[in-house]
Order: sequence, then C-alpha cells, then structure tokens
Amino acid sequence: MEKEAVATRSEGTARHSFSISKITFPLLPFFTFVGFFLLWPILAVTIRSLKGNKNEWTLENYRPLIHGSYFHAFLVSIKLASITALIGALLGGLFAYVIVNSAGPKLTSVLDSISAVFANSGGVPLAFMFIAAFGTEGLFTKFLKVLGWDIYAGKFTLFSFTGVAIVYSFFQIPLMILVFKPALKGLRKEWSEASTNLGASPITYWRRVVIPILTPSFLGAFFLLFAGGFSAYATARAMTVGTVPLVPIIIGTLVDGNVISNQANLGDALAVGMIIVAAIAMSGYLFAQRRANRWRSA
Amino acid sequence: MSNDKNSSRVSSKLELSNITRKFGSVTALAGLNLTVEPGELVALLGPSGCGKTTALRIVAGLESADSGSLFVNGVSYLDKPANERDMGMVFQSYSLFPNMTVSQNIEYGLQVRKIESTKRRKIINEKLELVALGEKANSYPHQLSGGQQQRVALARALAIEPTVLLLDEPLSALDAQVRSQIREEIRRIQLSLGITTLFVTHDQEEAMSIADRVGVMSHGKLEQIDRPISIYNNPATPFVASFVGQANKIPAQVTDRGNVKVLGQKIQLSKHSIDIADGRSVTALIRPESLHIVSESDPEGTAGQVVIKSFLGPLTKLGITIEGGLLVHLNVPSTEVRKIEIGDRISIMIVAEEVMVESA
Amino acid sequence: MTIFVVSVLAILIFVLPLVAASEFSFRGAKGMGHSFTNYIWLIHQDGFSEHILTSLQLAVLSGLLNLILMVPTAVLLHLKLAKWRSLVEFICILPLIIPVVSLAIGAQVSMPKFIQNSQYELVCFFVIIALPFTYRALDAALSSIDIKTLVEASRSLGASWPATIVRVIIPSIKGGITSALFLSFALAIGEFTITSLLHWDTFPTWAVVAAQQNILGAIALSVFSFVGAVLLMVLIALFSNRKRSKTNSKLEEVAA
Repeated sequence: MEKEAVATRSEGTARHSFSISKITFPLLPFFTFVGFFLLWPILAVTIRSLKGNKNEWTLENYRPLIHGSYFHAFLVSIKLASITALIGALLGGLFAYVIVNSAGPKLTSVLDSISAVFANSGGVPLAFMFIAAFGTEGLFTKFLKVLGWDIYAGKFTLFSFTGVAIVYSFFQIPLMILVFKPALKGLRKEWSEASTNLGASPITYWRRVVIPILTPSFLGAFFLLFAGGFSAYATARAMTVGTVPLVPIIIGTLVDGNVISNQANLGDALAVGMIIVAAIAMSGYLFAQRRANRWRSA
Repeated sequence: MSNDKNSSRVSSKLELSNITRKFGSVTALAGLNLTVEPGELVALLGPSGCGKTTALRIVAGLESADSGSLFVNGVSYLDKPANERDMGMVFQSYSLFPNMTVSQNIEYGLQVRKIESTKRRKIINEKLELVALGEKANSYPHQLSGGQQQRVALARALAIEPTVLLLDEPLSALDAQVRSQIREEIRRIQLSLGITTLFVTHDQEEAMSIADRVGVMSHGKLEQIDRPISIYNNPATPFVASFVGQANKIPAQVTDRGNVKVLGQKIQLSKHSIDIADGRSVTALIRPESLHIVSESDPEGTAGQVVIKSFLGPLTKLGITIEGGLLVHLNVPSTEVRKIEIGDRISIMIVAEEVMVESA
Repeated sequence: MTIFVVSVLAILIFVLPLVAASEFSFRGAKGMGHSFTNYIWLIHQDGFSEHILTSLQLAVLSGLLNLILMVPTAVLLHLKLAKWRSLVEFICILPLIIPVVSLAIGAQVSMPKFIQNSQYELVCFFVIIALPFTYRALDAALSSIDIKTLVEASRSLGASWPATIVRVIIPSIKGGITSALFLSFALAIGEFTITSLLHWDTFPTWAVVAAQQNILGAIALSVFSFVGAVLLMVLIALFSNRKRSKTNSKLEEVAA
C-alpha cells in the first residue's frame, strides 16, 4: 500500500514537472506581453515616483499629495466616485431587480447588450451627448423649462461637479445592472416559496434571507463602480478642463502642459496615488466577492 | 407539542373537489377530485406534465386554482394566503436557506410563529434526532450532501407541526442508492407522527413502495386511485396498466363480447377495458409475470426464440421473439432458467384470469 | 405597477438624453430648423477621413492582436492548466484596477524610445485595456462547453491537436470570440485617455478639438456612434443568443 502511494506520488511529480515545462512555454507570450506592457510601466512609474531630483530614493514627491490642492483633488475625486457609485448602485440595483423578475429572455438579452454599451460608453461621445441634451441650448433643458424648471436659473453649469456626476451616473447605472444581475439571479425561487410556506411574510424573507445573501455582492459592485468612477478620465476631460479639480485631469494637465523639472515626478506620484486608491477599492471588491461565495454549494 | 399518533393537528383530512387550472391554453388540471384521510400518505404518480405538481402547489397555496374547492378539516382553504396555511413542504432541491445553519433553517418557521427560545431549542433538537442529523446542527447547507439536505428540509417542514405534509418529488435529485434509503425514512417518520401526507413523484417504484394509496394522473385527471397492490393487479385504464409496472403490448382480437384472443388463447376481457365491438383488433397489455414457460408440446403455448437473458437477482428477465418478430419479456425465477440460453427455442403461455386491452 | 414606474424612470434617464442629443445633432445652421447639416459638416472637416482611418486601423489591429494573444491562452488554461488560471484571472483584472491614466504615465516612463515613437504602441495598450473584457468573454464561452470531453472525443477519433483546436474548439466558442473581438474593437475605436496622454492623434482626440469649433458637428458624430453601437450590440445579442437561449431553455426543461 505504502509503496504504491510513494510510486504514484513520484510518478505524479515527474508528470507534473514535464507538464510545467511543456505548458509554460505556450503561456510565455501572454506573460511576456502583459509583463512588458502592463507590469513594467506600473513598476517604472512607481520607482520613478520614489526618486528625487538627484536620483536618490525619497518620498518627497508624495509630500504635495497629503495637503493642499492635490490632497483636495483626491478628496474631490473620491467624493465624485462615491456619489456616482452610490447612485449607480441604488438605481442600477433597482433596475436589475426589475429586469430579473419581470423581463422575458429575449428582452433580457437586449437589455444586457444595451447595458453593455452604456456601461462602456464613457469618454468623449458621452460628454458630447450630455452637452447636447443638458447644455444651455439642449433639448432637455428646453423641455424642463417648459415644465417650469429652468436649470440654469441658478449657478448650475454642466461643466461642474454636479454636471460630471450626472454624466458619470449614466454609465454607472448600467454597469451596476451588468455586475449585480448574476447575484440577483442566484436567488432561488425555492427559497422564497419555502419561506412563504413556513409562514413568513415577504418582508421577513427579505430581512432574513435576501439581504444577508445579497449584501456582499452589492458592496462588491459598489466598490467596482467606485474604482471606475475614480479612474475615469475622458468624460471629465471633455467637460471640465480646469473647472473641477480631479486627479486624472490634473495628471493630464501635467503631462500636456509645461513640465517644470520636478513636476514630472509629481505626476508619477499622483499616478501611483491613484493606483493605491483604486487598489484599495478593488480589494474591497475582491473581499466582498469572496464573502458572497462563501455559502455557495461546493 | 406531542408526537401522539392521533394528534388531531397533524392528522388532518384533505379534500380537493373539482380543481381546475389552466396556464394559457394548456390545461394543467381538469377537475381533480381527491381526498386524503387523516394520517394517510397518498402518492400522486404520473409523467411530467400530468398536473401532479400543480395540484400539490395549489394545496400549498403557491398556485391558485381557477375553480373547485379545497378543504382541510372542513375549512375552506382556497382563499387562504400561502403563508397562513400551516402546511409543511419539501421541495425537490435547493430549498434550504444557504446563509443559515441547519439549526437556523429548522428554527425559521418557529421564529415566525414567535415561539420562545427554550421551546424552539427543544423542537430543533427533537427534529434533528428524528432525521438523525444531530451532529450537523451547526453545518451550512453547502457542507451537506444532497440526501442530508433533504432530511434537513423534512425536519424544517415538520418543526412547525403542519396540518399536512407536502412533498414535491423530494428524491428526484438524489443518487439512486440514497433515494431508497431516504424514502423509507420519510415513510417511517410519517407513520410515527401520523401526519397526513401528499407525495408527488414520477417514479412508480417510489410511489408504490411507501404510499397507502397511489393516485395515477394523466393530462390533468386522476386515472385511478387505490392501494398499490390494486393499482398493479387491477389497473383501471390502459394508461395505468402501462405506466405502472411493465406491460408487453401484444396484438389481439376481441372475439365475443367479454373475451379476447391473444397468442392463440382465449381470455376474458378485463371489466375496465374500453367497450369495443367484436372482431376488432386491439392491443393486449400482458405483464411479464403473467407469461410462463411451458413445454414445447403444449398446444396452448406459443413458440419463440430467446434473444435476451438478463440476470436481475432473484428473477431473470427473458426476451423472446415470437410470431411476427414481436419481442416479449417475461420474468422467471432465476433458478428455473439455468438451462436456458440465448438462441434456445421455448414456448410460453399467458396465465391470467383477465386481460386489459387498449385500442390498437 | 412597480414595473411601470421603474420602466418610465429608466426611459427618462436613458432614452431621453439620447433623443435630446439626436435632436440636437439634426439642427440646422445657426440652430434653425433641422437637417443633416451637422453630419455633413463633420465629414467635410479637414482630417476627418485620415483620422477615422487611423482609428479603424488601430482598432482592427488591436482586435486581432487580442485574439491572437488570448484565444490560445484561454484555450490552454481550460485544457490543461487549471493551476495558472487564478493567476491569469488576477492579471486580467489588473487593467480594471490600475487607472488608465496611471498606465499612461507608466508607459511614458518605461517604454523604450523606438516604441514610443510608433503609433502602434497604442495597439498594444489597447489590448491591455481590453484584457478584462476579452478574457471574461473567452473564459465564459470556454466554461460553457465541456472542453475536456470534446477534446477526448476528437482525439479518440484520430484528429491531431491542431485539427482539434481549429475544427472543434474554435467553432464551439465562436460566440465568445465574436464578443471579445467586438469589445476590443469598440474599446479601441473610442479610446481617448491613453491616446491623448501619450500625445497621439486618433479620431476621438481629433473630434474633441474639432468640437471646440463646431460643437454641433461633434455631437452629431457622438450620437451617431453611440446609436450605432447600441444597434450593433442589440443585433449581435439577438443573433448569438438565439442559439444559446434555446439550448439553455431546453436544459431547464429537462432539469425541471
């Protein structure tokens, strides 16, 4: 018995090492490509952010980030990301719930693809569209004026924090639908029927079964939306240059504009700062995902 | 909380009258009449689509009926909301709440009824013992096997002391071996508690082995409801005869009113057979155990050649091709069949008092 | 009742802005009347065709490169290398975590001169940015077929490895490949961030500049591309899902 076990184990290892060499080679293109075009740039910018004017190791470049206008920019970016993620999570969650419970299969797939387009829209077209709709000459603006609400009566301008937040919500909501729908679909009909059968009201069912089960997925989705809202560049760029202090935009101006000698490294520090914030959000997402799956059948 | 066999709460009388239900253009139930006596286990048996699950769900309140009436102990239940019916239901699978332990699952119905905690503890432990899962009290559903999950589902349904126990194909998702084990457990528990039970299944062995009475359904109607042995020996319709147990379909001809000629023998027609004019061709349904091997010289015998021999343990199933190339099966005690091999020629004969036929 | 309210809300939020923008795009000169003027204007602008061509070229190349890189990788992972799957999955999530802005800065710092001087560095970065989506599409498609059984069946019938891959596996994941291709193409065509930060000039970056002269024209284009993308996606979804949903519903029937 023991001899057998030893024999199969060494056989296994032998096969194992043979496989590794045979297989890693085909995976080499992938790892090389990703290593060169993704990992190396990130590493490079991190290293350069830690170097001072005379090429020494230093944290000097990070100093401006923790107070003053750059810190403020981080706060504004985080605030924008949080608010739009929240709007996206709540409204998107609601829409997702309705779709899962009421839409037939064909309608669902159509809505899925529309959501995919909207979720990945971003950038310039989206900004233009909103300028068209909500700008001073926009149709929507006129429509609201007819209803008695002149949105430009006050200080409102599309090229502001609020404007950007509205536009961001436009892609946060569909993204939420895409990300959260699977979790909703995982709610089995048998659970609600069993709960009813055992005498509980729908509210009890929600309180004791649905909310505990959905909360991790919901939070995870929120973090994902946050990361997206924080890192977005193109839309804000098309709408706000200079008017709203967002970190991605500041990096952009540093790159575009006049580069004073140590400003290059400041850009690096800002870039790494962004990575850190986004990474924290994503680890929140990954942690929540793991919690969401802990009750899944093996 | 007593386990008294005749505790009136769980030994309820269930009466369905003329229940109809349509889904769009599909008729799921066409006037179902069914009474389940206190403490009885009735199995609803039939192929998928026959309406058995719909009937069960109407009793549970998860579906509504278009017309008809439903009485539990003389009280009309059709308009009662599903969560006020006090019935325990076991679903086919996946019905345990995944975010709760076994104990918490069982406790769910008790908390809804605001039963205080020491009493709840007691009931949970009793039920866990009943299904022999005491050591799994703090496990989560995903840590249990399919069979264990269904036992927990049963415990959870019984914890609330339901008036009626409803089982919707509870064993269909389980492995074959586990299936027979658990169905016996279900029957044992049901008998010890004296709880009125409605059990839906498409597996005839399951239904026949544990039910007090079996109701065979087809196309939204109850074809026959009787004790298992009567269903088997005296099927009321051709559908029942061919759905329950096996039946050879052999061409035959009605001779004079009341008799049919099949395999050269003249046998009385079953009184449940459809009324057919003399001389008409029909199909006779003959059970494998009604076919016996006779000597080749017997004038009443039909000659055939053995093409299949399947050893089933105490019985061996033989497949014989007879006149016209028809393949018929017979079950013979294995000891009697030792000398018979594939290719041998043997003679068979029908031994039955009456025979059921259906139109050709 | 809730459905009605929610649908109205959804339409208000999503359809109206599109409609409003569309209306805007059809406005005539000086904001009078409606016509195709804006669409025509855009086409007549200097640089329209060359920039569109550039973007198209880059998009096609990145789509192809994406497939060439990821299809073999994904197939290999599903065939033999479950071990590496979680690592690769994590790597493919990275582009979602790492802000594109930061990647752009990183690119500036790290890429050797000869690469930085070529427009085609964009192709490589587009591939990276699309990685989460392409990998997910391919992974999902490969997970939905029983690849091990298919391969064993094919091999036992005498087919070689290349033949098995080309004639059995690839056709089975056609849906995933199409999704991946479309996603990376769409992403590349609309990509603005890394293009602008690396100082390249593609259609999106050109459009932003052009917009500053005639906002109407740029809007016309945006609307057009947006609506076009939605229609295309819907068509693809309707066509590819017809087969899959039939199979799925059959499976559900059997399981019920």
